[in-house]
This record gives sequence, structure tokens and C-alpha cells, in this order.
Amino acid sequence: MKRQLIAAVGVAAMVVGVAACGSSAKKDDSTGAAKYNGKTVTAWLMSGSAPQAWQDGVKADFEAQYPGAKLNIQIQKWDGIGAKVTTGLSDNSVDVLEVGNTQTTGYAATGGLLDLTADKADLGGADWPANLNASSVLDGKQYAAPWYFTNRVVIYNKALWTKAGITATPKTLDEFYGDLDKLKTTAGVSQPIYLPGQEWYTYFGLLAGTGGQIAKQTGTTWAGNLESPEAKAAFQTFQKLQSYSTAPKDKDEATPEQTTVFAKGDVGAMIGLGWEAPDPKDIPASDIGYFAIPGATADKPSGVFLGGSNLAIAQDTKNPDLAKGLLKIMLTDKYEGQMAATGLIPNKTSLDSLATTPFAQAAIPASANGATTPNTPNWSNVENTPNPIKDFLAAVLQGADYDATAKKYDATMTQLLGQKQ
Amino acid sequence: MAVQSEPVRVQSPGGVKGSPLGSGRPVVGPSLLSRSTPYLLLLPAIVATLALLGWPLVKTFELSFQNLNKRQLILHLTEWNGFSNYKDQLTSSEFWHTTGRTIAFTTVNVVLIMVGGTLVGLLLNRLGKKMRILLQAALMLAWAMPIVAAATVFSWLFDSRFGVVNWFLDQLGWHSMANYNWYSSQYGTFFVIILLIVWQSIPFVAFNMYAGLTTIPAELYEAARMDGAGSWRIFRWVVFPSLKPFFLSTTFLEIIWVFKSFAQILAVNAGGPQGLTQTLPFYAYIQGTGNQHYGIGATIAVLTILMLVVLMAYYFRIILKQEDEL
Repeated sequence: MKRQLIAAVGVAAMVVGVAACGSSAKKDDSTGAAKYNGKTVTAWLMSGSAPQAWQDGVKADFEAQYPGAKLNIQIQKWDGIGAKVTTGLSDNSVDVLEVGNTQTTGYAATGGLLDLTADKADLGGADWPANLNASSVLDGKQYAAPWYFTNRVVIYNKALWTKAGITATPKTLDEFYGDLDKLKTTAGVSQPIYLPGQEWYTYFGLLAGTGGQIAKQTGTTWAGNLESPEAKAAFQTFQKLQSYSTAPKDKDEATPEQTTVFAKGDVGAMIGLGWEAPDPKDIPASDIGYFAIPGATADKPSGVFLGGSNLAIAQDTKNPDLAKGLLKIMLTDKYEGQMAATGLIPNKTSLDSLATTPFAQAAIPASANGATTPNTPNWSNVENTPNPIKDFLAAVLQGADYDATAKKYDATMTQLLGQKQ
Repeated sequence: MAVQSEPVRVQSPGGVKGSPLGSGRPVVGPSLLSRSTPYLLLLPAIVATLALLGWPLVKTFELSFQNLNKRQLILHLTEWNGFSNYKDQLTSSEFWHTTGRTIAFTTVNVVLIMVGGTLVGLLLNRLGKKMRILLQAALMLAWAMPIVAAATVFSWLFDSRFGVVNWFLDQLGWHSMANYNWYSSQYGTFFVIILLIVWQSIPFVAFNMYAGLTTIPAELYEAARMDGAGSWRIFRWVVFPSLKPFFLSTTFLEIIWVFKSFAQILAVNAGGPQGLTQTLPFYAYIQGTGNQHYGIGATIAVLTILMLVVLMAYYFRIILKQEDEL
């Protein structure tokens, strides 16, 4: 009885399978979409990047434009992403992927990313601002498309600032220090600003704003440049700001997540990204304000680290046409606009006006002074744990001698930047 | 010979009576099988060891002679570069610093584990039944705790602002410890890591010690006491000589385990501050997986294995010597 049942089920399954084959083949012939049938494009996006509506929209548009093809969006974590992308590119498990802008050149140099130079115009490349596109280009070839950017601003607790008697946001660093001094003596303020000592993005921005460089290139070799006078001056600004914080000097903004500290409501300000603004149920959105980190003079805010992501295609993709088609959909004004609407800086200045969140209004003017990390394939070596810039900041903030420590970590950076590929 | 084999043949139940040929066959059959049985029984273990340890070891050895970074991995390239990875490491001051640090780290841990474990083992032997079961249960729990869970709990205990250790020290009167950051210095971080490893390793030594102590006949203690020996002299002249093989094997096991400890170092402070608590296995991980220089990581791993082999060679020499004496 049982055996018969199994046999019957098996026969039935075969019949259905054959029927399915027949019917789908027929349908394909009629619509002319046979070549996409059963093809799946896998896209890796980083956690926190694209809103769900964006993902659903892209998926629907893609599957409508390429009938029969499937889009499989997988969300990856930033932690340990380097090794994961390497394996993904090596074993062909990803077609389209989001790559952090500081890591793009590194992967371009490995030969794992598809050369998109010929497709640049088709993807809308004529409108990409040069500073946003810089990280996607290596040796004159386009290996990725800029997707979105963002930079850190001061996020402050309006209620505490009003309590401290501050009526307007500061326009210069000196005014900012003055405000922080006022906050320091205000009751109910545990610390004027939360700034952990290893928050190297802010330090990098301050350094870039003074025209300095974290690493300098001579010929084809790169060397650490923490010993330069600009780096030292930027450090002094960073140290001064950090002195207003009781945050650990040897931790970064992720441990503990600074937004959880700020959300407690007794911290005057923090330097962060738009998504780090506290949950409205902790602090109402109307009580949160944003302004660009002021510069030495009122005419120009401080420099910022321009973070962001590019979209790239794996060299080994089995469906380069579908992957390029997907990339094109992802980069249309419709979807770039959705990214801008969440407060990110889009890849075209014409879409900036869509970035209307209070965060974006503070961040976009500062992004003009934004700089990306040195455009060398080995840069990701520096950002890998243990990041020498973070260790350097922690050491000097905890009392080590600047010049000696800078020398030591410059040597480490030079070694990391010169490693064989 | 013939005289001795006669009764055996008679007693053999399956033997065919009267036929010398027939009586020979059942002897040959099972003996082939029984001769090969030990090897057959060992086979699964050997296969598993070769597949899970031998093969990766061979691959690691192979990788250590290659320039293998993300580029080679993505493009499936094999670039042999001879001994240059070894040359780079053996001339690198960072490698030798890390080696020295690993040896010091291992020494401190193993001494503390052996002394602590021995004392707890002696205590177990002297306790009454109820207290002994209580202590054994406590030891078992410490031993059974997963490493990462234990490391997470320890890093909370020693948290600078919310940790119970700082709170307790503050309550006791050391007010300067109220917000002390254990992870800002090399020694502070090592203190937490060592405490964690020692805490988790003592149960193994203590249980073995206790098991060993139960094999020493009570008469030996009595005789020693009659001769006027105190506790220390009993330990030195009765317990220690009887348990010398135990001390040797446990010490060497602990050396291996502590030398290659990795999860504790990663979970407590990720080799920080400023990489000052990196030991060799962690260094291999940072260079290999973290920085994606897989060839260099493999080289460091091979050098680490070689160091352990040298240590173990010494151990096997002692073992072999002892077996010769027996």
C-alpha cells in the first residue's frame, strides 16, 4: 500500500514536471523571454543601506523588465566583509555587489570586478561628480558605479542646548568650544559631547579640511603621514573636542554604539550619521538638531570623511547583461531619489534637492569639503583591524608622546600600504 | 611445543576431532582477523585524523610557500614564492616580539593553572562528601562554560563603567578603581585574559589530580606520617613521585592548550590595546584572515606548529625514557 502510494506520488510529480516544462517552454516561445528563464542574479547589499521599499521596487522592476529572471537580494554585515567579498568573487556566488568606497580600489586591483568603462555613459556616469566617482576608478578604468554617500555631522539634543542658554548653532570651532563649555556646567548634562577616542572618521575629516593627508604618495609608494604638521594640528582639534567627552579613549563609535549612549538624553551632542539619530520614542525627532562641524572660520565648515558605497559587478558573473541591466535599474533617478529621500547624498547633484531631511540639509553643505581615503588598492589593509589610525589616536589621547607615536604608526601604515598584492 | 599444543586442540570446541589439518584451520582463520582487528578499529580514528587534521596541515604547509592574497584567491592564481614568507617573518621584529609575548603568556598561565589545579585537587581529596560534590559541580560548570560566553561575561565583569569588579573595588575603598579601564593597558588586558583562562583550565587539572590521588594507597600517607612527615613533605615525597606522569602529561597538555588559545584573546579585547596582547595564533589570524594575506598567515601558523613540535619532542623523549625504565 505504502509503496504504491510512493510510486503514485513519484509518477504524478514526473507528470507535473513534464507538463511544467512543456507549458513554460511554450510560454517562453510566445514571449521571446526564453533566455532569461531560470536565471538568477544575486545581489549583495550591506545591512542598513537600502530601505525595504527600495529593494522591493528594484526587484519588481527587474523581474518585469527581464521576464523569467529572478533577483535574489542578500543582506551582508559590515563586520568581516572583506574576506566574504573575496570568497564571493572567487567562488562566483555574487553577481552585483555593494562595495564600501574605501574598499573599491582594492577589489578593482584584484581583477575581481568587471570593467564598466564602456557602460559608464549608459549607467548615467556623465552626471557623477568627480569627488564621488574617484573611488570607483583605478588606472583610468571604471570598476564600479557610485551609489550613495554620507558624512558625519554634529547631532545635538535641542532641549539640553536651550537649557544651557544657547540660542544658535555655532559657526566656528571657537563658538563650538564655547557652547560645549556652557553645556559642561549645565545641570542634567552628563557630558557636553560623546566622542570616543578611536572615532577616526572625524579625525580624518578634520585633517582633510586643513588640506593635509593621512598618507602621502611619492612616485608609486605610499607612506603614513601622521608626523606632518597638518596631522598634528588636526589631532589637537580632535583632542580638544574629545576632552569634552567622558567616552572611552580606546573605543570607537561602535562599542558601545554611540547612538544608544546619546539616546539616554543626558548627552549634549555626538558626531554621527543620519541613521544614528535616536529612536523617536527615546528622544522626539523635534528635539534633535543637526549642524556641520564648524570650521576655524565661519565661511567654511570642517572637512569630513566622505563615506559611502559603490555598486559593482563580479568579473565572473554568468549573466553580465542581466547584471548590467540590474545596475542600471538601481541607479535610475527613481531609485537614487529614494536613497536621497532617506537623507543620503545621491550620485547626482541634480537629485540633492530630494535629500530634505534635517540631517541631509546639514550634511550636504559639508560634503563639499569631503574627502575619501587615499585611492590605493592597499588602503583596506589600513582599515582592517587593528587599524593603526585608531590605535594611534587611542595611544596619544591616553598620554603617549605625539611625535614618537606618530612615527611608530607611520611606519606601520607605510608597511601596510606597501604590502605585496 | 607439540606437548603444549595438544590440550589446546582437545579443548577447542569447534575443532574437528582426529584431523590435524582440520584443527589447524580454525587457528589460522581467527588469528588473521584478530590480528587485523586493532587496525580496523583504529581505522575510523585514523581516517578522521587524516581528513580533519592531516589534510589541512598539508594545505597550510603548501600555502606557506605561496604569495596568496585576495587577488590570487579571486583569480584562482597559484604564485609560489619559495621561502620568502619565512624569510620575512623570521626577520620581522613584530614576529619575534609576538613570539616572546606568547612564551611569557603561556608560562604565566601554565604555572598558575598547575599550582591552582593541584591545590584544588588536594582540597577535593580532603573535603567531606557534601562539600566535595558541591565543589565538583562548581568546577564542572566552569569547565563546561563555552569559551565565548565566558569571555563575554568576563569582559562585562571588568567593564570600566558598569563592571561589577570596579564597583566592588570601589566599595572596598579603592576609589581610584571606580572607572578603571582594564583594557587600556597591556597588563590590564592580559590580567583579564589570564584570569579567564586559568579559571576555565583549573577544573581539568583538579579533576585529574583528584583521580590520581585516589590511586595512592592510604598506607603510604600513614607510613610517611609515622616517620614524622608534615603536609609539604608528604606532597614532596609521596604524592609528587606517585603522580609524576600525571604532572608531566597535564603540564604539557596545558602548554599546548594555552599556547594556541585564541577565542579568549579575540573576545576579550581583540588583541588590543594597540595589538599588545596579540599572541602567535591571533597574529596568524590577523595577518591571514583579517588582512587577507593567507600565505603569510599560513607561514606564521607553520612556525607556531614547529615551536610546539619542539616542545612536544622534549615531552616524548621523557615519556619514551620512562617507558624504557619500566
